[in-house]
Amino acid sequence: MTRIKRGYIARRRRTKMRLFASSFRGAHSRLTKTINQQRIRALVSSNRDRKRKKRDFRRLWITRVNAVIRDMGVSYSYNNLIHNLYKKKLLLNRKILAQIAISNKNGLYMICNNILSQQESPGML
Amino acid sequence: MASSSSTLALCSSFSAQCKVSHHQNPLTFPSKSSISLFKPNSLKLASPPILFTKPAFSPVPKVSESESALIEAEFDERAPEPAQVVTATKEDLKREDIYAVVMVGSRQYIVFPGRYIYTQRLKGANVDDKIVLNKVLLVGTKTTTYIGKPIVTNAVVHAVVEEQGLDPKVVVFKYKKKKNYRRNIGHRQPNTRIRIIGITGYQDYPVTTLDS
Repeated sequence: MTRIKRGYIARRRRTKMRLFASSFRGAHSRLTKTINQQRIRALVSSNRDRKRKKRDFRRLWITRVNAVIRDMGVSYSYNNLIHNLYKKKLLLNRKILAQIAISNKNGLYMICNNILSQQESPGML
Repeated sequence: MASSSSTLALCSSFSAQCKVSHHQNPLTFPSKSSISLFKPNSLKLASPPILFTKPAFSPVPKVSESESALIEAEFDERAPEPAQVVTATKEDLKREDIYAVVMVGSRQYIVFPGRYIYTQRLKGANVDDKIVLNKVLLVGTKTTTYIGKPIVTNAVVHAVVEEQGLDPKVVVFKYKKKKNYRRNIGHRQPNTRIRIIGITGYQDYPVTTLDS
């Protein structure tokens, strides 16, 4: 085989990694081997957290809706709301409910009243 | 839960009807529009004149066949609008005090006229197509709401396809430690940007106000 110098191949690869880790703290953005390791950890975390994000936000929405709903009256809670939502065949999901709850509380109260009031009608059970 | 399964059955039965024209957006689960989770819509307000300069009738808006029956509703809406352009833009800003919750691509979005949303890629929709979104779950103003069970019948959200693009790149990096396994894959999810023009057709639906 002819002789081949490695030249700038490794440097180019490492420069890209340095750019990726440029905002990391201390040695994690300065030393090559450490950058390699931290880059892997960062990417793995981002992968895993993309799946977690869906769970986290759903929890947040549930908490928010719960907080606003409990103001409505004694013993009215999130689980009652969701049960009634399904009974009355509303399709709104928790994200939308949470957004309505924080931006326009009256909207959520209107929805609750609507669901509750219909329940008292004799035809329903 | 029996009730949830019944709701899901409802959803599937509606999927055929809700062929959203050819609807995204933010706050989604299919997470790609991550940050927009709390800002379902961009805060851009399209200035009204731009919307109305679109030639109303001349080019036949390319809408998929399932929507052909609904095009007539769009035409009726377009006719009186050019007359209103002359009046102050303040009226148009006041008119936008209404919002709707619409389901597009199995995600729900809060929609305001004049703003845009990113949805899953709508196949067969070209740029500047008028789109009609059928699955309207809720229409609301500051004082009243029309709560759909499950949808507000005859309510329709009109929108225009602005752009068919790709989401920002996401690096899917798979790694197992001490096992010499790593895979580096980049992914860009296709999306469609839709600008909302108007919300119509909800007036006949039973309304809910704070007093009731």
